Amino acid sequence: MRVYFRYAFRETLSNLWRNRMMTLAAVLTVAVSLSLVGSALLLKQSAAQASVAWQTGTRVTVWMSPTASQGEVDAVRTQLANSPLVHRCVFFDQARDYKEFLASLPPSETNVLTAADMPTSFRCEPTIPADAFIVESTFKNQPGVYAVTAPEQQIRQMNHAIRILQIVFLALAGVLLMSATVLILNTIRMAIFARRREVSVMKLVGATNWFIRIPFITEGFIQGLLGSLVAALAVTALHTWYPLHNEFALNNVALLGTNAVVIGVGVLIGSVGSAIAIRRFLDV
Amino acid sequence: MIRFENVGKTYPNGTPALKDINLDIEKGEFVFLVGASGSGKTTFLRLLLREELPDSGRILEAGRDIGELPKWRVPYLRRNIGCVFQDFRLLPTKTVYENVAFALEVIGRPRSTVESQVPQILELVGLSDKSNNLPSELSSGEQQRVAVARAFVNRPLILLADEPTGNLDPANSEIIMSLLERINRTGTTVVMATHDKALVDRMRRRVIVLDKGEMVRDQVRGVYGFDEGANR
Repeated sequence: MRVYFRYAFRETLSNLWRNRMMTLAAVLTVAVSLSLVGSALLLKQSAAQASVAWQTGTRVTVWMSPTASQGEVDAVRTQLANSPLVHRCVFFDQARDYKEFLASLPPSETNVLTAADMPTSFRCEPTIPADAFIVESTFKNQPGVYAVTAPEQQIRQMNHAIRILQIVFLALAGVLLMSATVLILNTIRMAIFARRREVSVMKLVGATNWFIRIPFITEGFIQGLLGSLVAALAVTALHTWYPLHNEFALNNVALLGTNAVVIGVGVLIGSVGSAIAIRRFLDV
Repeated sequence: MIRFENVGKTYPNGTPALKDINLDIEKGEFVFLVGASGSGKTTFLRLLLREELPDSGRILEAGRDIGELPKWRVPYLRRNIGCVFQDFRLLPTKTVYENVAFALEVIGRPRSTVESQVPQILELVGLSDKSNNLPSELSSGEQQRVAVARAFVNRPLILLADEPTGNLDPANSEIIMSLLERINRTGTTVVMATHDKALVDRMRRRVIVLDKGEMVRDQVRGVYGFDEGANR
């Protein structure tokens, strides 16, 4: 057994060295594609985490039109108070809305407006965060209501954008992973071709099939592993040097999980690539 | 040791390579396999190695039907069969020592076995002083001796030789023949396909003659018996 490990190790290294340019190409392609996979995974986790954070503090704001009569305002107030969808509401008068407005925009934008131009509003908390959308559609067409805004909407749009980004990432990664597999397959094929004399002598003297195959499989395995290690480094660097906003920032467990997936996929495509090459080109 | 029972083999293009061969080769026998090119000699040897399976009949080696051997057992069958070819088939990047050692390493023999067996076998073929040379630095006679050493280093029960003297001058042929004889005297069954009329006539061993896939003669202490090209 020890003889065998020494043999397989030596053969694998010499194969990798002999085809070093092809090996480099394969390793880099694996690295790039898996970096994309890793980033897509991080993005997905960040988005999921952030949308949970946003939803816990969801507010629905019912903006009254500045021309709304006191009767219309009171009617909306009563309906909000009686609606089972709404947990509680706070009324913001013009002065309070103006203060919030001043705080959120730079002075250059605010000096054209006065408190009298501001609408009044109800700041409501839905009973169930996910129902914010229903609250919105219920009150949007009430008389005197100018608009209803719910962050739910923005979250949904954001999630939608993130999902599209993710699909793009994964599609790119998928194409790259396929080409990485083909590259690995091709390196192994070249290695098999370079060693055809050895292989024929081995068959002749009675080396077992697995004895002949394993150095080629390890070769693909190592290419996949090297590529995925580079990708894992890239993902870690992304995580460390581009820290995201608090709501997005992921903990180290998520990072480790992502890297585990990246390395797992790398090793898998390396092994699959060499397995296909062996089935097709190594006739034992 | 080797038994053919009604063995037939036809290649996909329809040419019959062997037709209804029946024969027995005892342990320790030395057998010449002669016949013109295309007479089925190589097919005969390939069947013994189970590189091919017969279309009909069966082949027994050491009492076992090799056609019934599962595929994964074939390497173990081949460990009992040494092979020498006309074109030597040495690995050009390995030294003489490494070429012979390779045959033991790839069947998982421990290093201690390799280190004791290889020098011994190189001594037997008279190449101890060339063990660190590459095959390209040797004469063809010496290269064939390396090939014989590699075939015999694992002490196989059967040694197959496919025109081992085909590329050699008479003097080197002589050396290879005497090596094969020495190997035969250790109890190894030797089957040698050859075109070398003079050699066969002089050796006076069993001769099996194939012609267009048929066994036309099986003669103890035989001679080549026909002129090359006359084709009976």
